[in-house]
Amino acid sequence: MPLSEPTVNFRSCVPTFDANVGVGHRHDRPAPFGAPHELLAELDRHGVDRALVYEVSGEVISPVEANAALDRWIAGGDGRLTPQYVLGPRADSLEQLKALHAGAPLKAVRLMDAGSPRVPVTPWVLGEALAWLRVEGIPLWVSLADSPVREVAETLAHYPGLPSVLVGAHYTHASVVRPLLRRLPDARLELSRYEVMGEVESLAREFGARRLVYGSFYPRLAMGPVLHALHELDLPADDVGDICCRNLERLLGESAC
Amino acid sequence: MLGGREVVDFHAHVGRWDALGMVAEAAQMLRVMDRAGIDRACIFGIFHPDGRPGNDAALALARSHPGRFIPFAYVSPLMPDHMVPELERAVDEEGCRGIKLYPPAAGAPLTDPAWDPVLEFAADRGLAVLSHTGEEATCHPAQLGEVAARYPGARFVAGHAGNVAPYRRQAIEAARACGNVYLETCSSYRAPGVIEELVQGAGADRVLFGSDMPLMDPRVQLGKIVTADLTDGEKGLILGGNAHQVLGP
Repeated sequence: MPLSEPTVNFRSCVPTFDANVGVGHRHDRPAPFGAPHELLAELDRHGVDRALVYEVSGEVISPVEANAALDRWIAGGDGRLTPQYVLGPRADSLEQLKALHAGAPLKAVRLMDAGSPRVPVTPWVLGEALAWLRVEGIPLWVSLADSPVREVAETLAHYPGLPSVLVGAHYTHASVVRPLLRRLPDARLELSRYEVMGEVESLAREFGARRLVYGSFYPRLAMGPVLHALHELDLPADDVGDICCRNLERLLGESAC
Repeated sequence: MLGGREVVDFHAHVGRWDALGMVAEAAQMLRVMDRAGIDRACIFGIFHPDGRPGNDAALALARSHPGRFIPFAYVSPLMPDHMVPELERAVDEEGCRGIKLYPPAAGAPLTDPAWDPVLEFAADRGLAVLSHTGEEATCHPAQLGEVAARYPGARFVAGHAGNVAPYRRQAIEAARACGNVYLETCSSYRAPGVIEELVQGAGADRVLFGSDMPLMDPRVQLGKIVTADLTDGEKGLILGGNAHQVLGP
């Protein structure tokens, strides 16, 4: 049975932790909100309890400056926003992450977009950082929407044991999603853009619901549609709870709700 | 049904597109429709320029599941001699209820005279014409608006409502300028506020829910409507109320 009867209105009815929310204005994409309380209102509108947030100027322009700008969002987040710092290819980016980690252990890191500007996702560019993340047990988010899939697959395969979250797979990735999940056993698939009909149920049965994570990619995408779809899945309620919340909590080293 | 309202999906496919994971399988489509509360879906096949194989598949699906699928006919000016005869067969003889067009595959915008026989056919019969719109040069919504003004007897539906921001605005302008233009919502570009923008720009009575099933999961596309900041009445029009007007008796 679906978690809730379909209606013309929707709010999540399970504990929900969004794994993919950007804050701040990107140079080419102003956000529809400018302050933490406005983001919290959007979470509330959809029944989302918490969100893992990164500063979007780090996607393309400067991970170092983006990470410095994240504090005000966390401070204003009423305990509901968890920081995710962005990793770039420069040495000072890794040094910044190490310094932050020394102050308070990092829960999650996100690779800056590697498609534009072109940052090769290769061991000879990112190897030191990826090796450090693996040693420290810090999970890495990588956007398939913004990075060459082949490089992501081949490079992450060099770092077994490094937990990763593959973000933003699209129906144009339909032929590579299964091979990716097989090739990268420590990877999870974030679901914000993956909407081939019936595929979430199929992937959950084939790979286990613990390999799937709810994320919205807000504000690049609207927050509610995928969450609504997850509530209508033909899966056990426990699996939906894992996808909507517990899998992310486990990745971040929190005790699952 | 959602909240006591019939739900009509105005954009669904038959056939396969293997590289994109799209496989139209009736049992799965019905299972997902039932789960989501979708009563009926407009269905068409767009992968054959002569139209016939896709049209036959749409008709067969509709006949196999009475009341669940509404077949549309597809033709292309890539095979111009087939267009009107195939429409006469699929619509007049076999019962297709509308026409689906995909100008990017034909390489010609709707304003190209090559499409005129199709548009005249639709206008003569008062049919709905669902045409893909987006950023591609052959399918700008303004082109759909131009032919809608020339063929007031037909009802034109801008598939994907232009898809991305500049062309979404163009689609809204086309609907504002022509009373026979409607905006259909399916798109993997799911920016915040899109549905609200369509309603504010064109009116709730001019927006139609579509999913692009099975390329995309209708539960996600339906989520765009039910999570939008709209009244229940506006959602009801989008989800099914308007489809009755566009499809006609």
